[in-house]
Amino acid sequence: MRSEAESRRLLMALMTRHQRQIFGYIYTLVPDRSAAEDLLQETSLVICEKFEEFEEGTDFVSWACQIAYWRIRYARQKFARSKVVYDQDVVDAVAQTAGEMADDLDERHQALAECLKKLHPRDRELVLARYEPGGGAEEAARRTGRTIQAAYKALGRIRKLLLDCVSHQLAAGGANGPHE
Amino acid sequence: MGLTNKQIIELNELCNAAVEGTQTAEQRETLSQWLRSSAEAREFYVRAMGLSASLFSYAGEMQADAPGPVPARPAGAPLRLVRWLAPLAAIAAVLAVSVWVGHRTKPKTGTAKATTSDEFVAQLTGAKGCRWADAATPASGDHLHKKQRLNLAEGFAEITFDSGAQVILEGPARLDINSAWDATLYSGTLKATVPPEAVGFRVAGPAVEVVDLGTEFSMIADGGGTTDVLVLKGSVEAAPQNAADQQTVLLREKESCRFDESGTSAVSDSDEKFARFGQPEPLNRFAPPTRLVHWSFDETAGRTVKAVAFGARPGSYDARLESVSDDAAASQHPAGRRERALRFDGKLFAKAAFPGISDNSPRTIAFWVKVPKDAPLSNAYAMVAWRAQSTQVGPKSVHVGWNRNPLEGTVGVLRTDYGAGFALGATPLRDGRWHHVAIVYVPGPESGAPVQVKQYVDGRFEGEGKPSPPGRRSAPATTASEDGASAIDSIWLGCRLGISGPRKERFSGEMDELFIADRALGPREIVRIMRENQLSQGSLPDKSK
Repeated sequence: MRSEAESRRLLMALMTRHQRQIFGYIYTLVPDRSAAEDLLQETSLVICEKFEEFEEGTDFVSWACQIAYWRIRYARQKFARSKVVYDQDVVDAVAQTAGEMADDLDERHQALAECLKKLHPRDRELVLARYEPGGGAEEAARRTGRTIQAAYKALGRIRKLLLDCVSHQLAAGGANGPHE
Repeated sequence: MGLTNKQIIELNELCNAAVEGTQTAEQRETLSQWLRSSAEAREFYVRAMGLSASLFSYAGEMQADAPGPVPARPAGAPLRLVRWLAPLAAIAAVLAVSVWVGHRTKPKTGTAKATTSDEFVAQLTGAKGCRWADAATPASGDHLHKKQRLNLAEGFAEITFDSGAQVILEGPARLDINSAWDATLYSGTLKATVPPEAVGFRVAGPAVEVVDLGTEFSMIADGGGTTDVLVLKGSVEAAPQNAADQQTVLLREKESCRFDESGTSAVSDSDEKFARFGQPEPLNRFAPPTRLVHWSFDETAGRTVKAVAFGARPGSYDARLESVSDDAAASQHPAGRRERALRFDGKLFAKAAFPGISDNSPRTIAFWVKVPKDAPLSNAYAMVAWRAQSTQVGPKSVHVGWNRNPLEGTVGVLRTDYGAGFALGATPLRDGRWHHVAIVYVPGPESGAPVQVKQYVDGRFEGEGKPSPPGRRSAPATTASEDGASAIDSIWLGCRLGISGPRKERFSGEMDELFIADRALGPREIVRIMRENQLSQGSLPDKSK
């Protein structure tokens, strides 16, 4: 039985380390940044409330993603304005695939750091402006002097470049290894 | 069977449309069909979405590393409090649940054994691969205290000082935290990012003292008396400490200098070092969630001021205007800092139920205020007040107002009274202009620990409360009824608070965009609230909902 202090510290450590992965899982099922962040917030609250049920040494990300899945399901049923746009059968199918690919996605995240460095500076500026907090395609377009349509097109091209780069890097054994 | 190139191109376009929110109904249906029927398509989709999720993470890290002002939220944009890094709800939920349901939980405190002061002045806000040389191991989110020594054996540790300066320490390194405004690097490498609000932050080394004039610099101390200083952005003043020639050196962007006992010299490998420090170091950051209540004061009539609560205990936090007629209330909603504000005319006050506000727990109060130039001393307090059930000082009122006692400080500066102590700011508020003020209130978790108060005016840290004497009780404990139960668990605006309710003194001025958070917000979070009217945490529902 963990003491309250031990429990708090463990929870902090696990969430600090794995928040990104839980967000990634949610975003895959609800590809809208704001909605995914809201769902992550709700999920985190439930994780806290249920943390006593978590068995130390088991897969925290998997456990947390199960909670996230039910939050998404609940949001989809409960709120007419929910950003969960896919039908439940699609959500279920993607959720299963995402769960199976968790390790793969983690490796890809590590490899992406190297691929970002390889991008042309102008492309890197665009993609970071698109994804930074408060950013978006319009802001990225404005900052890089593109039209919004040109920005969409460039972002699509850059994402494909990065997808391919990551795959090549992993195939060549270039992943940096898992996070601490 | 794998996907063909044509199928990959089609899927990629559909994924791009999903990511950018430009998806048509037809595209959504097509993508749904793919996802239902093809395992390969699902894998492609999961990788594509995972890529975007990772890009949010990396871009957030890089922005967090970058200095400079955060762009303001466009006028009229919907109010949101969500940002990517924030929703680490679980951690604070352990704290926050206790805050809002009345349990007592020990707040985060530093754990390093070198602590020589109870007063915290910084926080460990990020880490990667940290191994500490001491037995004590500060964890992400821990407060760090004045005179605390950090002995990092390896890895990276990000320290955010209460001034807003942020230092990434790279092990092996030894650093003393002297105050919210300065540190001493004995050995190792650091990179300091200093926002405009923290200009003047300084780092001393064995051979040099560096005062930041804004933005970003690195220091490398070899432990043998030599320190390299590299300015990545902006400029610094570097004062040699040991050399015969102690003339201050002004270093500008992309300039570097080596300091040792013999004087100054060029950094021979500066290009390599600039290249290295120019790369952001992704860290695991601690970003606890916040339970917030927000009053925008955007009403144009009536005596009810609507509150929007996120994550707080259920119930209405709406405030009710008192000492004003319905008709007169309509004239108390002038144009504010954002849309409408609430005017306090020296008579009117407001009260809102706020379950948990009287608990012995940390919180942050932030709002805009405009005090008339000719505001009389009798209208000095309080802008905001609540009744605290402090473990240290017994039941006492906490008042946020402006100082009217010239013997204790400049008249007109922000002042927070909290029982056995008070904090004073430096910026006069009585100038008829809008100022953003924030008060971080942190009661000690147990008897013997002091109350700490930190004030921010216009985003700049100014005014630490002198910690109340440990264990001192300025008033005997009373029962709830003796203490005036009606004052408990309410927030009061525009009036001085007595034992059982408002006293005759009233505040005169205008207030806008009041936020109350259930934890001690960091300096950068306070600046974000000031600039964006939002916090990198959690979301508020639309006011229209």
